[in-house]
Amino acid sequence: MNYDWSVVWRNADVLWEGTKVTVFLAVTTMAIAIPGGIVLALMRLSRIRALSIGSALFVEFFRNLPLILVIYTAYYILPVATGLRFSPVATAIVALSLNVSAYNGETFRGGIASIRQGQSEAGYALGMSRFRVMIDVILPQAVWRVLPILASTWVSLFKDTSLVSVISVGDLAFESMRVRSQTFRVLEMLTAMAVIYWMLGYPQAKLVDWVNNRYRVSE
Amino acid sequence: MSLDFSPVFTSWQFLLGGVGDTLALSALTIALSLVLGGAIGLTRCYGPSGLRWALIFYIDTMRSIPVLVVLVWTYFALPIVTGVTLPPFWAAASALTVHISAYVAEIVRAGITSVRPGQSRAAFALGMSRTQAIREIILPQALVRMLPALGSILSITIKDTAIAAVIAVPEYMNRSQTVAGQSFHPIEVFLAATVVYFAIIFPVTRVVDMIYARFAYLGRS
Amino acid sequence: MIEARSKTRRAETGSVPTVAYRDVKKRFGDFVALAGVSMEVRKGEVVCVIGPSGSGKSTLLRCTNGLELIDSGEITLDGEHLPNDWNGMRRVRQRMGMVFQNFELFPHKTALGNVMAGPKSVLKQPRKAAEQHAMELLRKVGLADKAASYPTQLSGGQQQRVAIARALAMDPEIMLFDEPTSALDPETIGEVLNVMKQLAEEGMTMIVVTHEMIFARRVGDWIVVMDRGAIVEQGSPEQIFESPTRERTRDFFSHLVWSG
Repeated sequence: MNYDWSVVWRNADVLWEGTKVTVFLAVTTMAIAIPGGIVLALMRLSRIRALSIGSALFVEFFRNLPLILVIYTAYYILPVATGLRFSPVATAIVALSLNVSAYNGETFRGGIASIRQGQSEAGYALGMSRFRVMIDVILPQAVWRVLPILASTWVSLFKDTSLVSVISVGDLAFESMRVRSQTFRVLEMLTAMAVIYWMLGYPQAKLVDWVNNRYRVSE
Repeated sequence: MSLDFSPVFTSWQFLLGGVGDTLALSALTIALSLVLGGAIGLTRCYGPSGLRWALIFYIDTMRSIPVLVVLVWTYFALPIVTGVTLPPFWAAASALTVHISAYVAEIVRAGITSVRPGQSRAAFALGMSRTQAIREIILPQALVRMLPALGSILSITIKDTAIAAVIAVPEYMNRSQTVAGQSFHPIEVFLAATVVYFAIIFPVTRVVDMIYARFAYLGRS
Repeated sequence: MIEARSKTRRAETGSVPTVAYRDVKKRFGDFVALAGVSMEVRKGEVVCVIGPSGSGKSTLLRCTNGLELIDSGEITLDGEHLPNDWNGMRRVRQRMGMVFQNFELFPHKTALGNVMAGPKSVLKQPRKAAEQHAMELLRKVGLADKAASYPTQLSGGQQQRVAIARALAMDPEIMLFDEPTSALDPETIGEVLNVMKQLAEEGMTMIVVTHEMIFARRVGDWIVVMDRGAIVEQGSPEQIFESPTRERTRDFFSHLVWSG
């Protein structure tokens, strides 16, 4: 069996484009899913039952479904349900955002709940409204507190973006596998794909560890 | 939009077979991962240091690479390197096990290190050997603390089996794709899949939460 | 050392009470926290509420500024009935300052930021004005040099003094203190009590729930003894500390011998 590793270098530009798409998907999704998660958490804590239950249902729904299924379903449902044309990338971002927002919703809910009641009371004692207390006192502390968890969620998201390849979004996984189909260099391309993900993911995983350690020290 | 679920119902036996494969793959993966991951986690904590570094590397690597990549590599590339071709189900089981064991190992390590050092000191003060201390004092406490994370591994594994669809494992996701392709009613088929997966995963999540709530007091420091 | 201050004799004031409680009742489930409390706080008075744990002292304070809502009875501020709903009480809370046992400074803000929090968030004061006012208050409590410090960098006594400044920033009519020194190391208790005494001398109306008997005796104008949700006895410091009439009060003091 002869291996031709040069196929990797020859297609480096395509792989690079794929990598950029992967990063774009992850960054865009997180940019949506962090405010999304905060909104879901606030809804969950709202005294308006419809909001609270709605948020709980949303979170439970997306946390208990495989992401690949959400991606496929979004791909078929979105155009029909909204009457708009969705590019694969847009579909991917919608599916990923729904999924990660649900996880972040749980994360932020836990973070907010972990802030001592006395902090809210101190805010109320100054005459702050519930809204002000949440914005000025609770949320800043809660977000800081859940940073390590958000870091972990980021790493998972980064890996999960590979699933959008199934709806032909040109991310790293899709492009790698496309080159594999075109060149028949299966081992070389699949290994290259694994190695590139590893090179991107390993430092991120280590960063998460570092964040967790720093966090524990300063607690 | 009008929905026509008839393709789902006419193919119900085919799809049900998929549920069986999903559950089988999940159960097998979980069982193997718990054993392998447990062994790796314990070795990581108590084993010889040369081995520890290799295991840390393995664990961190699995944390860095997507499941999809491991699945695809195991099914398509491994045969080229080793000459061994695994049928889809077994390729998926191996790939998923190797991937998920890393997470189990991390959970085991975290559980063990979360037990206060004073506990082992107290055990030694009573005259216990290292093995005894680990087996009777550390591990039971560590186990309770691992439960919530291990419980979530259950849900994660079932969700990951759906990815095995891309390497032709005839589990539920794969079969849904087949029916969707043949019937030209993909929305209904995937909505049904949503219901089926939720019906499988949600109870698992709930039961794990309940079991943990029952036994959480054992792990409190 | 807390020096005695010139007191406001209750007999001399005789005006509309700043705060009046009439038969205030509050229960948590089966537990009766307040079993019909009636008392008055006059303007400029320092009322010290003492008694064993669980006697309802803190609950009474928290009902005063609406952190807890009462079940029945009424509380009046300057003669007007306090609304018994959360949002209605928000306005009232701006007229009262509260200092907590655990300080409850906002850890994500500096000392200056903490003192500014009320005026900026609630009164929507412009930043410059709020900052100046906050610095004055920090000077007043002796912590101007710690303005840029975060709560974790401050000692307990310093944190509590910042907390007092934070409450004062809202220009309250009355200050409520919920066991302000119970969580402090003995060395730092004095600095906080001195600030409180200074406030009292400036004429601030204060309700202080405390275990510090020396403070109550020297700085308090009126002492209220509570037990099991009811007022056992109330009177001037001389009366309560020197010649308590109720058995329960005598009991309480005798137990204090060991705790100082």
